[in-house]
Amino acid sequence: MRFSVSRSGLFWTFFEPFMQVMVMVLIKVLLFGGNNTLFDFSVFLALNFTAYNMFKNILTKSMGSFKANKGLFVYKQVKPIDTIIARTLVELFLTGVIILFFLLIGLFFHYDMAVQNLPLVTLGFLWLALFGLALGIFMAVGNTFYPSLGRTLNIIMTFIMFGSAVFYTLEMLPQNIQAILLYNPLVHFMEMIHGNYFLTLSDSFVDYDYMVLWTLSLLYLGLFLYRHLEERIISL
Amino acid sequence: MITLENVTKYFPTKKGRRYILKEMSCTIPSGVNIGILGRNGAGKSTLMRMLGHIEFPNSGRIYSEYTFSWPLGLGGGFVGKMTGRANVKFVCRLYGRSALEIEEIIAYVKDFSELGDYFEMPIETYSSGMKGRLSFGLSLAFDFDYMLIDETLSVGDARFKKKSKEALMKKIENCHVLLVSHDMGTLRDICDAGIVLNEGKMYYFSEINDAIAEYEKINKKGQS
Repeated sequence: MRFSVSRSGLFWTFFEPFMQVMVMVLIKVLLFGGNNTLFDFSVFLALNFTAYNMFKNILTKSMGSFKANKGLFVYKQVKPIDTIIARTLVELFLTGVIILFFLLIGLFFHYDMAVQNLPLVTLGFLWLALFGLALGIFMAVGNTFYPSLGRTLNIIMTFIMFGSAVFYTLEMLPQNIQAILLYNPLVHFMEMIHGNYFLTLSDSFVDYDYMVLWTLSLLYLGLFLYRHLEERIISL
Repeated sequence: MITLENVTKYFPTKKGRRYILKEMSCTIPSGVNIGILGRNGAGKSTLMRMLGHIEFPNSGRIYSEYTFSWPLGLGGGFVGKMTGRANVKFVCRLYGRSALEIEEIIAYVKDFSELGDYFEMPIETYSSGMKGRLSFGLSLAFDFDYMLIDETLSVGDARFKKKSKEALMKKIENCHVLLVSHDMGTLRDICDAGIVLNEGKMYYFSEINDAIAEYEKINKKGQS
């Protein structure tokens, strides 16, 4: 129910990512000059921000989901985890709409948007959503009993974007920094998405096993905690 | 029959645990309308929610094979940003009603709750009484073994109160109620049996009048 409050909600859903991309393109052009990358930097940013925002929104919306939907637990059919899944589906849908919106802008201004491997890019988005859902379930349960956990994550999330290959590729960085950043699972997701999107980039840095490990462990941990604490979450 | 087995329920407070029930075992016979009595804060609503399986005890178990309505109270159970109509639709879908049935239920609830234009407005613009009317009207459209009612009968003006009481009386020919109320008149009218909740213990009385007498005794003790 993100839009029913006011119509401006709908406007900001499209305008916010658009502005993010514009501002970052501007900063990049001012600092490093235009046209020195092997790919179109605006398309690169639009792609990365869409993916990163999807992840961030799924995570933050999931975290607040139990409290926000507490009133609905009076219906025995509604389990707390349903609200997280519903919110994730809404975010996935919105991401789809935002991608369409960017595609239309791109077509209109004749940007080069050629895709190297569409199935892998799509898989990257869906996998990232699943990763967000897994972390979201874990954090939602944790946040219910230790609210400081959620606050900590909110602070971390604002910093982690800089270390997540959102406005650069790993290739551009020195090797010792690459090695550190590769511990961050988000880097692998972002590299998977833009590495498979641009004809001039590759996913050579991506460790798919590492991503599977993170996703499955978080999903297992989140669902394990949820299963044991579901009754307590409803009773809160 | 509703069975409670070693049920303990407490709320953590700054001054330690406040017990609603402390290791209570008890059986509540079937086929009766039950009133729940107790002083303010004794945990009547919590007990009702636990019997209806939408809140869980800290330890122990509660069994029954009945279907329970959601607790009909003054708040909760609605999505604030959706309209009354959308909320009714949402609940209908939760209970697996078909599109055709949903149309009928919407028409019925709209008529019964007398919300007028508010029916098409977001729930967050409603007063608590209006929410209560919508919740009660909606519950009448479904069949449960037990209706959980939390003081809702005191909603609205005298005419609406009369109307909802009549509707409820008709409804309870086929189902039973668990009623939380401070109004002894309503309890006597509707309930056959009573539960008195006091200081972590619950007492079942098969006669509502005995329950009321016990409740009044507790109340007097509290005052003196």
